[in-house]
Amino acid sequence: MIRLEQLQKSYGGRPALEPFSLEVAAGEVVALVGPNGAGKSTTLRSLAGVVRPSGGRAFIAGHDVVTDGVAARNQVGYLSQRLGVPANTVLRDLAELVARVRGVAPAGALQALTGAGLGDRPGSTVGELSGGQRQRLMIALATLGPVTALLLDEPSISLDAEGSDEVRQAIGEAKRRGTAVLFASHQLHDVALLADRIVVMVQGRMVAQGTLAQLAQAAGVACDAAPPEPPIDRIYRILVSRGRDSAPGTLTLLREDAA
Amino acid sequence: MSHTLSLCRFELEAALRGRTAPIFAAGFGLASVAVALVGLSAGGVLAVQGFARTSVSLLELVVWVVPILALISGAVAGADCHELEFTASLPVRRPAIVFSRWIASTLTLGAALLLGLGAAGMVIGLLAGSADGWRYLRLIGVALLVLAASLALGLWIGVAVRSRLKAVGIAVAVWFVLVIGVDLAAIGALSVLPPGKASVWLSVLLMASPVDAARALGLSLFHADVVAGPTGAALRAVLGQAGAWALTAALLGWTVVPLTLAGRRFSRSDL
Repeated sequence: MIRLEQLQKSYGGRPALEPFSLEVAAGEVVALVGPNGAGKSTTLRSLAGVVRPSGGRAFIAGHDVVTDGVAARNQVGYLSQRLGVPANTVLRDLAELVARVRGVAPAGALQALTGAGLGDRPGSTVGELSGGQRQRLMIALATLGPVTALLLDEPSISLDAEGSDEVRQAIGEAKRRGTAVLFASHQLHDVALLADRIVVMVQGRMVAQGTLAQLAQAAGVACDAAPPEPPIDRIYRILVSRGRDSAPGTLTLLREDAA
Repeated sequence: MSHTLSLCRFELEAALRGRTAPIFAAGFGLASVAVALVGLSAGGVLAVQGFARTSVSLLELVVWVVPILALISGAVAGADCHELEFTASLPVRRPAIVFSRWIASTLTLGAALLLGLGAAGMVIGLLAGSADGWRYLRLIGVALLVLAASLALGLWIGVAVRSRLKAVGIAVAVWFVLVIGVDLAAIGALSVLPPGKASVWLSVLLMASPVDAARALGLSLFHADVVAGPTGAALRAVLGQAGAWALTAALLGWTVVPLTLAGRRFSRSDL
């Protein structure tokens, strides 16, 4: 559903993402983890058509994100770390726009607002919402319509415990619908709970990839307990540290290696 | 296409909620009425000019004020395009985002212009009669054309520059060049070139600035070339009867070309 083939991105000659290949199948949830500047957001933004890849290719449901961008984006729900719309945008207008371009009936727009807990405030502007309310709104809009791929950049950021639970539920529902979910997060417990597979990125490179158990094994960390108990924080620190020291192109673990 | 219409509707709703349009309408209404008022007559009574004289007087206001406001509005709207990460991730083409911003700005500011000039027109009509009202309608047409062109130019600047502040600075500099620079070039051309060749170069210069093209078009439509500036003075002789069409085409060109360039530039931009 989501496929990256040697995707790369540079900003002014400075590589932000080194050639990177990945596939996320329908109904699979893959998490991108890594320190700031690892290339997680760049990967998601390239897939969402927000930045143009410098090399390689990426596909959403078989549509090239560059040459067939509109068709690709028609399948994508994207949550940015940035607001991404003017602060004076009225919620109703925004929801109706998303509904219209995704071919959803106008009632779906109001449903999305209601789902975000904002059904009674359709006339409010985005700028009037709290950080958590904005995040809920944008997640509701990202999942509005028949999207087959969901790209979420720090979906739990600025959310309280209840909001984080709602995000986890939304990702779970998307997975059950057969949506391919690729999300970036610093919330490692969310990653442990939600991700079928985890990709560890450091300085624009993928340094490890696999299930939590596979990554734990690669990091040499005992991982007997069921989620959410596995010591993902420790696994993460070991793999990131190892990734920083490794030569470009070195991969700690591939899913195929561990099979 | 339907997605572009959806975007246009979205942008239009946002633009209608902004404060720019009402300020623009009120400003133009007041300025237009002020221009229509003549000084005290010999009897000490304030009188109102008819449409013919008001149109010519207002033309100068239009070609000076509308471009600067539209260039700045367009530049800000263009720079802000780079903040639209969410919109850009929707299944819409990037040029459609630029186009929808342009059309929303053109419609709202155009409506504001119509309201402002229309209010003044009603005052003139009531107090001075409706004779020569067609000149006033043509003035409104010219104002809308130069508004559309200046907005497109401003959008291109904003999309290319990205920073609001820089975009506004460049927009103001461009306005200076368009309202003064091209006239200075015309004066230079007139003084240096022999009369035959000067006419050709003046024609080119009239097309080279949407402001001068609008001024010349207005004068041409009002048959008021007597009041022309350095470039407009040669209008009749240079352009002849086809002049108005050529100038209208130039203004449309000044709209379509920057808008296309802005769309292309935005398509290649990283947000």
